[in-house]
Amino acid sequence: MPVLAPAYTQCAYRLAENLQPPSEPDRLAHAEPGSAAREELLLAKLGPRGWGRLHHFRRFYSPGWGEGRGRSLSPRATEAFFSFLAAARFPEGVQPSLFLTDEGGLELAWEENGEAVQVAFQPGRLELYRKGDGTDRELPLQRWDEAAQHLCP
Amino acid sequence: MRAICTDKWDGERISPSAFTGPDTSVSRLAVFPLEDHWELFRRGVQRPPERLLSLMVEIGVGKLAQLGQTHSPPAEITVEADAVEWNRAHAVMPGRRSRGIANRILGAAHRHLPPCEAVPGRTR
Repeated sequence: MPVLAPAYTQCAYRLAENLQPPSEPDRLAHAEPGSAAREELLLAKLGPRGWGRLHHFRRFYSPGWGEGRGRSLSPRATEAFFSFLAAARFPEGVQPSLFLTDEGGLELAWEENGEAVQVAFQPGRLELYRKGDGTDRELPLQRWDEAAQHLCP
Repeated sequence: MRAICTDKWDGERISPSAFTGPDTSVSRLAVFPLEDHWELFRRGVQRPPERLLSLMVEIGVGKLAQLGQTHSPPAEITVEADAVEWNRAHAVMPGRRSRGIANRILGAAHRHLPPCEAVPGRTR
């Protein structure tokens, strides 16, 4: 006859005070400095859709996503992305699309006079594309300001 | 055939990085018909609720090669069979491609929307 384990009770054992779970108010997550300004920047430049997608990419896409080779979002690429976003001026009424690349980068795509414009923030490099003037090149990731000046002055 | 999931489609635009690589995963219609690919991709590449299959894009191997040859500078685009456990039709476009080529591929590819029954609230 199977023997059932006794039900656990709160007084089965007692944790030392410093191992106790934090009290309820301490469970609030602490935001990184400047994160509120970044949220506003995201909403202003990419709208609620872009804002939601970035949070989705951060939260749900762990290493190996997709068909097993997808990388999680690169902090370096994210930094360059926010710097670019702050400097960029997109055409009136245009809200770029935001995508996650397989390499763990972020990609923005929009149109200017009906022609495709794109910039990808890959870990270690930027990929620039503008159909209108034939731009199709790469830059080091830290040259996001040059990319912003060229693609959306 | 290339599966386009929610990371590469936001309801308005398709990400060209779906074709820039490295080593872009595709599937061959010569092995399984188009209709079977919906189920195949749902099982193989979807990870609900965060990653959902949105579209499929179709382009022939010959067209890919032609796009590569006529691009400036020309590039060789090949597709190599690479059967995997979940998909005997799986293949790979090896290496990386420029954004210019990826945009031309997307422009030339045929888009397939999911069958109506797969979209909640949508009717024929």
